[in-house]
Amino acid sequence: MREKHKEKDVTAKVRNSGALGVVVIALGFILFGSATSIYRTTDFIIFCIFVLGFDLLYGHMGRLSFGHMLFFGSGAYGAGLLVRYATPNPLAAILVGICGGALVGAILGPVVVRATGACFALINLAFNQVGYFLALVGFAKFTGGEDGLSLTFSKIPFLSIANPKVFFGFTLFCLCLTYYFLKRVTASPYGILLRTIKENETRAQFIGYNTYRYKWITYVLSSSISAFAGALATVNYGYVNPSFIDPTRNVEVIFAALIGGAGNLYGAILGGVSYMVISNYLARYIPRWEMFLGLALLVLVFKFREGIWGNILSVWKSRTQTGA
Amino acid sequence: MLLAVNCLDVHYGYAKALHDVTLHLLKGEVVCIAGRNGAGKTTLLKTIAGFLKPSKGSILFDQKPIHGFALEKISLMGIRYVFQDKRVFGELTVRENIELAAYPTKEKVSDSISRILNLYPRMSVLMDSKAKGLSGGQRQILLIGRALIGEPKLLLIDEPTEGLSAGIIEEILNVIMRMKGELSMLVVEQNLSVVSRMADRVYIMKEGSIFKEIVDRAVIEQSNALEGYL
Repeated sequence: MREKHKEKDVTAKVRNSGALGVVVIALGFILFGSATSIYRTTDFIIFCIFVLGFDLLYGHMGRLSFGHMLFFGSGAYGAGLLVRYATPNPLAAILVGICGGALVGAILGPVVVRATGACFALINLAFNQVGYFLALVGFAKFTGGEDGLSLTFSKIPFLSIANPKVFFGFTLFCLCLTYYFLKRVTASPYGILLRTIKENETRAQFIGYNTYRYKWITYVLSSSISAFAGALATVNYGYVNPSFIDPTRNVEVIFAALIGGAGNLYGAILGGVSYMVISNYLARYIPRWEMFLGLALLVLVFKFREGIWGNILSVWKSRTQTGA
Repeated sequence: MLLAVNCLDVHYGYAKALHDVTLHLLKGEVVCIAGRNGAGKTTLLKTIAGFLKPSKGSILFDQKPIHGFALEKISLMGIRYVFQDKRVFGELTVRENIELAAYPTKEKVSDSISRILNLYPRMSVLMDSKAKGLSGGQRQILLIGRALIGEPKLLLIDEPTEGLSAGIIEEILNVIMRMKGELSMLVVEQNLSVVSRMADRVYIMKEGSIFKEIVDRAVIEQSNALEGYL
């Protein structure tokens, strides 16, 4: 009986901390957007959704992908192609974008999730390269090749995407939704299993789990969330081109996850914001800002392996322990 | 007969680790496997658990062949393996370690926790601690307790007392003795005084083969007599 109460307490705790997280994230971005620029902050928010999707695979399940731009691009092109050839409805475009990413993830998953380590990372990169080639050359007739597709969206009553403030609010809602969903997922038994697969997959099999199936589900979830970000980016910019699926841009999401602290939702969001701040604002003062990013990564790897959020937590824990 | 291993050969690459191993285990029996380092004891357990694939021979569990099955399938059929290295899921709490083992068996988490607390009541204060903070003995009890979730039919335990102090060994032995008669166990153990106390039968392994089967209680109960066979 006491254990049942405890289980209910844990669920309520997750729900409450998830709701608190949503409030903190929403307030944080509203303040940030007011202090800087709504356009830029919308970009930041979309990138944070992408980092959350990537980090589900990397931080929570321990599989580093060098090819996640493929899913971002699948979402972006899925949305773009629908708008160009079927309907200009932005919500339908986002939905089709998500489905596009999920479909690509579901098809590639059975092959990719069998691998681990460097092999997993490189297989993803290889598929990303194929996707990039298809968007650039193979299906250029439909995708517009190097020029991409310029898109016009229809107006819908409650979502005027042409109004930057409305679209900012909409993307913020999408981020909060993604955060809350992932909070529930990562705190569930399924989330515990993911951490177990990261720690020792064979042992998880020994206690009766078909880890292959769970890895595949996670891969599809991660690709769907990344595609969600890609579709939002297409709606935000009003165009899609091969830069949305460019494999060389994978480094952005990897850096962001590392900077923030892999395996933590707040870490992913902090990492996404930090990376975007560096790439957007530092570039004004330092022409070769990528060099700074390289140095920042070196410092992270040697001194702060747990990233910004991981280190905040460590300091917090050590202070509360000293206080106690 | 619960388990029958027939003419089993196992290779690590080109090196033959087990040759022509044949053994059996009855329901409710505790059988120990003793032998020097490198005799093939752990390889044998890992092969039965499905971690290694035999190159020849068969493994029958409840009259059904299980060699070549996936690890999770063997686990869900009722064979649980307690590893030698006492590695729990360190980043998870004790409660999460138990929860994780309970879900695939469909056993209620609260029942699983009660089962482990019955075996080792002192675990109750450690439920919300990260498992990596447990002592070696506590880890071993958690691993054995976790393996018991879902009422398995056969427990494969690899060196349960290795590296533990005398007091902890006694506690683990008590846990195993309480399960004796209800559950079949195949235990790899080098501590012959422990073997003497728990085993119904003993197999001695040498250089990848079964060297001798000892069924005589008088011999089993004298660890000095067992020593002579190693």
